[in-house]
Amino acid sequence: MDDVQVKDGVDAETVEAVQSLSGTYKHGWETEIEMEYAPKGVNPDIVRLISEKNDEPEWMTEWRLAAFERWMQLKEPTWAMVDYPEIDFQDIFYYARPKSMEEKPKSLDEVDPKLLETYAKLGIPLKEQALLAGVEAPEEERKVAVDAVFDSVSLGTTFQDELKKAGVIFCSISEAIREHPELVRQYLGTVVPVSDNFYATLNSAVFSDGSFVYIPPNTKCPMELSTYFRINAENTGQFERTLIIADKGSYVSYLEGCTAPKRDTAQLHAAVVEIVILEDAEVKYSTVQNWFPGDEDGKGGIYNFVTKRADCRGDRAKVMWTQVETGSAVTWKYPSCILRGDDSQGEFYSIAIANNMQQADTGTKMIHLGKNTKSRIVSKGISAGKAQNTYRGQVTMHPKAKESRNYTQCDSLLIGDKCGAHTVPYIEVKNNSSRVEHEATTSKVDDDQLFYCRARGMDEEEAVALVVNGFCKEVLQALPMEFAMEAQALVAISLEGSVG
Amino acid sequence: MAAFLDAKTNDRLTALGTPAAVGWSEDARLDAVTRLRTTGLPDRRDEYWKYTRPDAFTAPAATAAAAAEFEGFAGVDALTITFVDGVFDADASDDFALEGIEIERLATSDVDIHWAKDLYGVLETNGQTPVSRPLAALNTAYATDGLIIRVTGEVSKPISVVYLQKSDASDAILHHVVKVDAGASATILEAGPVAARANTVMEIDIADNATFNHLRLQGRDHEQATLTHTFTRLGNESAFKSFTLTANGTLTRNEAIIEMNGDDASAHVAGAALGDGGDFNHDDTVFVTHDALNGESRQVFKKVLRNGATGIFQGKILVKEGAQKTDGYQISQSLLLDDDAQFYAKPELEIYADDVACSHGSTTGAIDDHALYYLRSRGVPKAQAEDMLVLSFLAEAVDEIADEDLQDFILGKLETWLADR
Amino acid sequence: MLEIKNLHVQLEEEEKQILKGIDLKVETGKVHAIMGPNGSGKSTTSYVLSGRDGYEVTEGEAILDGQSILDLEPEERAAAGLFLAFQYPVEIPGVGNMTFLRTAVNAQRKARGQDELSAGDFLKEVRAKAKTLKIDADMLKRPVNVGFSGGEKKRNEILQMAMLEPKMCILDETDSGLDVDAMKLVAEGVNALRDGERSFLVITHYQRLLDYIKPDVVHILYDGRIVKTGGPELALEVEKNGYADIIAEVA
Repeated sequence: MDDVQVKDGVDAETVEAVQSLSGTYKHGWETEIEMEYAPKGVNPDIVRLISEKNDEPEWMTEWRLAAFERWMQLKEPTWAMVDYPEIDFQDIFYYARPKSMEEKPKSLDEVDPKLLETYAKLGIPLKEQALLAGVEAPEEERKVAVDAVFDSVSLGTTFQDELKKAGVIFCSISEAIREHPELVRQYLGTVVPVSDNFYATLNSAVFSDGSFVYIPPNTKCPMELSTYFRINAENTGQFERTLIIADKGSYVSYLEGCTAPKRDTAQLHAAVVEIVILEDAEVKYSTVQNWFPGDEDGKGGIYNFVTKRADCRGDRAKVMWTQVETGSAVTWKYPSCILRGDDSQGEFYSIAIANNMQQADTGTKMIHLGKNTKSRIVSKGISAGKAQNTYRGQVTMHPKAKESRNYTQCDSLLIGDKCGAHTVPYIEVKNNSSRVEHEATTSKVDDDQLFYCRARGMDEEEAVALVVNGFCKEVLQALPMEFAMEAQALVAISLEGSVG
Repeated sequence: MAAFLDAKTNDRLTALGTPAAVGWSEDARLDAVTRLRTTGLPDRRDEYWKYTRPDAFTAPAATAAAAAEFEGFAGVDALTITFVDGVFDADASDDFALEGIEIERLATSDVDIHWAKDLYGVLETNGQTPVSRPLAALNTAYATDGLIIRVTGEVSKPISVVYLQKSDASDAILHHVVKVDAGASATILEAGPVAARANTVMEIDIADNATFNHLRLQGRDHEQATLTHTFTRLGNESAFKSFTLTANGTLTRNEAIIEMNGDDASAHVAGAALGDGGDFNHDDTVFVTHDALNGESRQVFKKVLRNGATGIFQGKILVKEGAQKTDGYQISQSLLLDDDAQFYAKPELEIYADDVACSHGSTTGAIDDHALYYLRSRGVPKAQAEDMLVLSFLAEAVDEIADEDLQDFILGKLETWLADR
Repeated sequence: MLEIKNLHVQLEEEEKQILKGIDLKVETGKVHAIMGPNGSGKSTTSYVLSGRDGYEVTEGEAILDGQSILDLEPEERAAAGLFLAFQYPVEIPGVGNMTFLRTAVNAQRKARGQDELSAGDFLKEVRAKAKTLKIDADMLKRPVNVGFSGGEKKRNEILQMAMLEPKMCILDETDSGLDVDAMKLVAEGVNALRDGERSFLVITHYQRLLDYIKPDVVHILYDGRIVKTGGPELALEVEKNGYADIIAEVA
């Protein structure tokens, strides 16, 4: 097996990672726990209730209510190439909290062991000594702080004290609203305005929890930060809100993971992530999205309608989005970069895998406003089964964005003749000193590569997983090490049953 | 269907009145009016009119545009047919007699049953999904004339359709139908500004093993608003090539809708546009559907823009389920010669078959400084060096012209235009 | 023929000084060579002399045949008789090599107040000159440098030089990427143009090109300055001992 060589150098490690996998969706189990729900549906009372549960100040309640007003006037967008039954927004629980969380635990030690077990089982031990999933015996100990969000509430955040020493604030957004209202008020809704789009507006009204990060000036965050989202309760929507502020000259790498149990009915997840990046600061945001994708016939799964945007407000600010989208029944997600500061940079690396009946419509926007700004888009889409996978992107060079550059590469891979792969880029260039390049290809898995792998003893599925990993290599390399391993494995799992 | 008719559509339809009852095409015309009433005319909110304002085409009356001299395919040996302000000019036209081809006029072919009945408004209707093109339906309903051409053999020289504009206020709707029989081949040339405002449709049916070439020269320094549509259907092992050269002009939108219905067919559409001035708006909208095996399609569009000129490219390759072995290629590039020029592109792929190789590319930017320096270091003055690089940039599109003599003709035209800019 | 005085050059983009005071005088009919390690400023010298954007002359001047050239446009320098054979000749798709050459030749003739060359005369001359450089008819027809091998590109540069008949030729690393046979062919082309009137400035990293194009004077460029000047033997010294000794000597 050692001498297997596949395009773009898939290494032996990958082969092992891929081979070690079996079975299908691994995180489809449920935690049996007593829950407390708000009544089904959404209206101003529910909005007030959520605000009240979080002990929010009046301004926050008003902000939510204004968003709700606005939402009532909006229509669900239909331009994406996704097709799903109409969502009854009044038939969803907007707030679900484990009973044991009624009294806020003072520390993670006080959290219901059942909940802690849940995270341990997911490979996310909520102890201040361990790492993310899938990594054993690292060469040197790497710490990752975790905020664990379970349905509508954050259970707690690890390493808070150690981070505090560095001046870093990492807590749940509900805590931030109470403890750091000045920061939240200054930045919340400034990147994704309340009226941005249907789902973001709904989120603004009903978000229950999420993560908050503030990195002070000239500080390199001493460890990676992460949030792990788990939807457990049935018929419940998860609406989390994340706000990251990187002050001048700071740096942070942030990881996000998500899973949900297998169920027959679809569930809604409508998150908003806002990132503010000031002068000379840099944020890396990595996502491994592994929500339950629904079964082979398209039953159940998460509707993942997410608005993520980074605003490079200061000169030389940098942002890098990396996403591995393997889960969800329907994905509607376009992590974007506003390159406002001169010399700011945005990067977007994406792997989107759609198998069986999954539908993904995902991509990015690069809005170049400042001079000499640079952006790079690398998107790898894989379609299998009867899935539909769309890259949708926009690159705009405004008149003042002189001397800017964009490079976009979108590649799609089709596995089987019943799936679809689509590319919908919008390119808008309004000055001539900028250069925009866009390339896209669509093809099937290379037969020669498959044959080569099989001649070396791999079965077809393993061979496909291996070749697909090679196809995705450029994006996988952009992920932090822990995530890269997990992502490689996920690529294989998500393609289960795609051949033969 | 009595749908609600928006004011804009209503005004335009009222101005046009009831379609003239013209024999075999009447059913198609009435059907087109019905369709038009259902969809309404496009506005800026339409996804496919995002970057070009359709107002000039939807307004009840044409905006006046100064008549401009235009030299088309002068010197090319061809059978010439002339329309002045959209009206056939017998004196300026050759006899319609040429071996291998039958030519009639839409306005005068008044038999009850005509072969063209199977095509008139039919390919246009096919071309309404998935994107609706109400202005093409409007053309089907209200076309005043056009050519009905049947190619039965190998035609010895091109048919050259010359459009002249003499009236500042002319408003033309022309609809051509071309049927190329199995194994036959022909070339059609079109040149000139059709009218102050023009809406033209050409429906082209290319049977098995047939070949059809289309070459078009659009305007020079004109003020016209021109909207063209070509709807092409290809049979087995057939071939289609279309090339358009546009130089200046205020508003031009060329839509090409291609259905690859036969196996092993090949379709190439290309365009070169030179735009100068803030009024210039040039829009290529292309939609290629692969619905058969082993099809090959190429879209090559190049625009050179300066002084506030705007270029738009919207192109799509749709590969339907089962259209295996499709080879689809699309490139759209713009050269922005100064900071006021703008380019918008939406190059799309929509693919439902796995054994395909489809790709697209789009680049936008200024002239390559290094190449410019290389040329100048050889003593070529800056302006001339820029022209050379413009020609270099356009070459890939000009290469798509099937006939080498016509390629040279177009290159010559480009050089002259650039030289006396 | 060419006199460079106290030439100081920095990059426009960043304030980085590349040339720190070059003095050099190439006499009529002579061949001078500039040698130097990577990053010493060799290519910058050739670019600045031929007028490429991106460089700022902060001090000094360059005089070609009595005329100050640093304020001239690239095409004016060419018309004044300066020619640079590029290290990396640029590909220009869609423009035929022949068209390119004729445009260049006639543009220069026009700038000098001469009549344009007729198509027939031009063709005759190109064919004759191409033949000696083993450039076949196909290469002349193809677009400029597109799909040319490394050797073909360099031969094409020399053909341009032969057609444009400059007074002062600068060869920028013309030997890079060439095997011995290709290099010989190029050198022969250059030597054929040595007529006692035309001057050459040969820029190279290695001595081997100088075996074939024999220089009269050799300069060693290091860190933006000419640190040593001598006869052909200086090139051999570099070949034998590398640049380290010379650099150490002047440091």
